[in-house]
Amino acid sequence: MPDDALGRPFGVPARREPVLPNGVLGMLIFVATEVMFFSGLISAFVIGKSNAIGGWPPPGQPRLPIEETALNTVALLASGVALYFANRAFKNDSPNTKRLLLLSIALGGFFVLFQGAEWVALIGEGLTITSGQLGGFFYLLVGTHALHVAAGFLILLYTYRRLSHDDLDRFTFWPAQIFWYFVVGVWPILYWQVYL
Amino acid sequence: MTRVLRTLAAGVVTAVTWAADLAYACPSCASPLEENRQAFVDTTVFLTVVPLMMMGGFVWWLRRRIRALEDVPEITVPESLLRDAGPFSKGP
Repeated sequence: MPDDALGRPFGVPARREPVLPNGVLGMLIFVATEVMFFSGLISAFVIGKSNAIGGWPPPGQPRLPIEETALNTVALLASGVALYFANRAFKNDSPNTKRLLLLSIALGGFFVLFQGAEWVALIGEGLTITSGQLGGFFYLLVGTHALHVAAGFLILLYTYRRLSHDDLDRFTFWPAQIFWYFVVGVWPILYWQVYL
Repeated sequence: MTRVLRTLAAGVVTAVTWAADLAYACPSCASPLEENRQAFVDTTVFLTVVPLMMMGGFVWWLRRRIRALEDVPEITVPESLLRDAGPFSKGP
């Protein structure tokens, strides 16, 4: 039977793509709740900061590594950009998809490891979750985000595995991207609020 | 639910309502610090605007996507027929 320009047989009603695939809808709802969760945390931090006696950061507390974390922020943002280009390559069936996805995963892994090293140094300087308001808020906000990065890292690894087995479809790749863009997008706000 | 249980539940709710004291959940509302009060107003605005923006953005994106999908023909037609469709032709 001859096919049309899109490779579909003539006369057969085209199977329409769903407006909103289930996976995407589920991830959007989840991310919406996450946005509100982080908004609540950031709001609590802003109120706590303005309420602090003696200014912010509180005197006698270790300073947060602003410059080093700026570098780490660039790595996470670059990871998001790499994922964007990986998606473009995936749409065009380009062999670069794997390489770009791997780059995105590697940059995400770098972010988590760098942050782990930063935490070890800060704990060594005496900043713990019970050392004061700064420590409490820092580990709550940055720690919650780090958990999300770790989860996103695992999701991207799963996506890469599916891609390696030629088993990745766009309705699986799409929700993974939404989650990673959320993780990447929320970080500059946290950096600006917590570190600067 | 039996009648006894219903009466008991109503009694508990009444007792709790009677015993409850004022809850000071907002330490910033009556703060003498201007910066603190401003932070409270800012975060209130932020937490109000964020969900509205999310919902608005979602509706906007959904509308765009539906329009994009509507452009795809539901029944497949031969390429030659599309090319020979006179002024509506997509061919040269």
